[in-house]
Amino acid sequence: MFEVLFIGLSLTSVLLLIALGLSITYGAMGVINMAHGELVMIGAYTAVLAGIHLGFNIFLSLPLAFVVAALVGLLIERVVIRRLYGRIIDTLLATWGVAIILQQLIRLEFGLTFFGISIEGLGPGLQNMRVPTFMMEPFDLMGLSIQPYRTFILCVTILLTALTWYLVYRTAIGVQVRAIMRNPQMAAACGIDVRRVSALTFAYGSGLAGVAGVLLAGFRTVMPDMGATVVVDGFLVVVVGGVGSLLGTILSSALLGQINGIVSVFSNDIIARAVVFGVVIAIILWRPRGLFSFKSR
Amino acid sequence: MSNRIFILGDRAVYAAFIIIVLALPLLVDDVFWLNRIAKYLVFGMLGLAIALSWGYAGILNLGQGLFFGLGAYMIAMSLKLQSYTSLQQGSDKPIPDFMLWNAEPGAPTDLCCITPGSWLWIPFQAQWFGMAMAVVVPVVFALIIGSTIFRLRVSGVYVAIITLALVLLARLLFIDLQPVTNGFNGLTDLGWLTIAGIEFDPFMVATYYIIAVSVCVVLLLSRWLISTRAGLILQSTRDDPNRSRYLGYDVASYQVFFFTVSAGIAGFAGMLFVIVSEFATPTYFDIAFSISMVVWAAVGGRSSLIGAALGAILINTIEASVSESEMFQQAWRLIIGIVFVLVVLYMPRGLAGLARDVLARVVALSQRTGGKDSQSSHTAAE
Repeated sequence: MFEVLFIGLSLTSVLLLIALGLSITYGAMGVINMAHGELVMIGAYTAVLAGIHLGFNIFLSLPLAFVVAALVGLLIERVVIRRLYGRIIDTLLATWGVAIILQQLIRLEFGLTFFGISIEGLGPGLQNMRVPTFMMEPFDLMGLSIQPYRTFILCVTILLTALTWYLVYRTAIGVQVRAIMRNPQMAAACGIDVRRVSALTFAYGSGLAGVAGVLLAGFRTVMPDMGATVVVDGFLVVVVGGVGSLLGTILSSALLGQINGIVSVFSNDIIARAVVFGVVIAIILWRPRGLFSFKSR
Repeated sequence: MSNRIFILGDRAVYAAFIIIVLALPLLVDDVFWLNRIAKYLVFGMLGLAIALSWGYAGILNLGQGLFFGLGAYMIAMSLKLQSYTSLQQGSDKPIPDFMLWNAEPGAPTDLCCITPGSWLWIPFQAQWFGMAMAVVVPVVFALIIGSTIFRLRVSGVYVAIITLALVLLARLLFIDLQPVTNGFNGLTDLGWLTIAGIEFDPFMVATYYIIAVSVCVVLLLSRWLISTRAGLILQSTRDDPNRSRYLGYDVASYQVFFFTVSAGIAGFAGMLFVIVSEFATPTYFDIAFSISMVVWAAVGGRSSLIGAALGAILINTIEASVSESEMFQQAWRLIIGIVFVLVVLYMPRGLAGLARDVLARVVALSQRTGGKDSQSSHTAAE
């Protein structure tokens, strides 16, 4: 039973990592960022490239991926999303275009392919990130087989969630973010620089996606379209949890992760995912605003 | 005065479209290109279906591939049973080849019970049944989904997310039900559509005409539908659902109706696509495909039926002509991404909106100069 719960727990942590950034950008800014998965992908590629060309290990790659993804996020906010605040469906469509652009840039190695230049670690093929061997060998703890890498993911997720909670609920900028979440016009009237705070929030959410990408790269193949499946899962978690609710995001990723884990033990992975989709649809129909939500814009 | 010119311009575009589509076999004598164009016409129908639900009803359906795929699979089941591969399995009745590969040892070679669920295929031995189901099944599903969603007053982004989740769900189920659907590989080696003893080879001018006439008929019917009273009420529910509700209209009914019509068109398109492409796979349920339809409609003009259809046809035709090499194909996808972002940012009404603006400019100019050559100006704007 414990092992089943642990499978669910590690699925939960991956879901939460992806959903955390999305929850902030969607909740705080009313932006449906379909390129979130591509930011995860960029995080993964950062780790791969840094591993090949700079000799970085996973611990050094994590902060680097955060910075790279945050910068890309900032660029997306400046160029595209800034012009679309308040047009939520349009943000969905425009960021889908951004997602395609990012994927193609990786496939075409930023256009260098046309000049016959090839960079190891980019291009349309599959890539792998090396994980230190001591993190791959399971060890026994009180009769339980513990996988160090999964545990590492879990720890990083908990740390990042705590950090996010601290930033949102215990700092000056967090107060501003929450004010914008409730009512952007009123926040602006109170002297909050909505544009600046929104840009920073988006960059932070993107950075979290980058970190998620590095951790995902440890047990999934890295490829240009790895983000497409990821983003849908993230959205389902955010919508089920309730827009703009950190607690809701945590609990709904736990709920969906455990359902996925438990059902996949008793049948197969495909049925498990199907059940998760069914549950999500039922919850959206039952409570369109999500399980935990407050009145927002 | 200028309003009349817009109506005339609109009619001219429709007429030009229908004439070109019907006359195309006279200009293109390469059957392979004709087959390709037939596929793009089907995509045009999908763009039209998106415009109908998104542009006119305000319902962004990101799971249109669900209905397209259902329609495709229904007809593919019938055509699979007509395929020569199904008649060579040592039985006097047709059995799809993949069922034999999936059958348990000792299972009787009969559709009733060769694999679990294979009995679902029995009625599809009649081709008309598959053809009917290709529209009926998507419509029934859309009715159930639509009435659940819209009676509960789910709207906006949530409709998009639910439909997205539904199409993913369908994709997983179709892959998982290997004994009935042949899983990942889908239904291939299909037979040809046979009506009144005539076999419609996909690479045949007659087959092109089936598609071309269908697209024109659907286009005209949809155009008629949005000009009816129901269509006008629908547009009012898009602009302000609450006001329409207070005026006494049952908003949900109109939404369900148009959502279902859009789904029916998508299912019909799925059927036509299988007839020209000779396969049905779970890729029809990919999110990327469903969102591509929205991209086509957005580039063409979300609130113009013919604009959305032309958007789909143009994008796919250009894609086919530039995709000579793998590298250019990738570059083309990059260009599509950039174009799409630009369209959403700067041209939310798409090419159709652009055409209208140009027409308005020309009309204003010709009125200022006092010229009476409005006839020539609006043909220039096409």
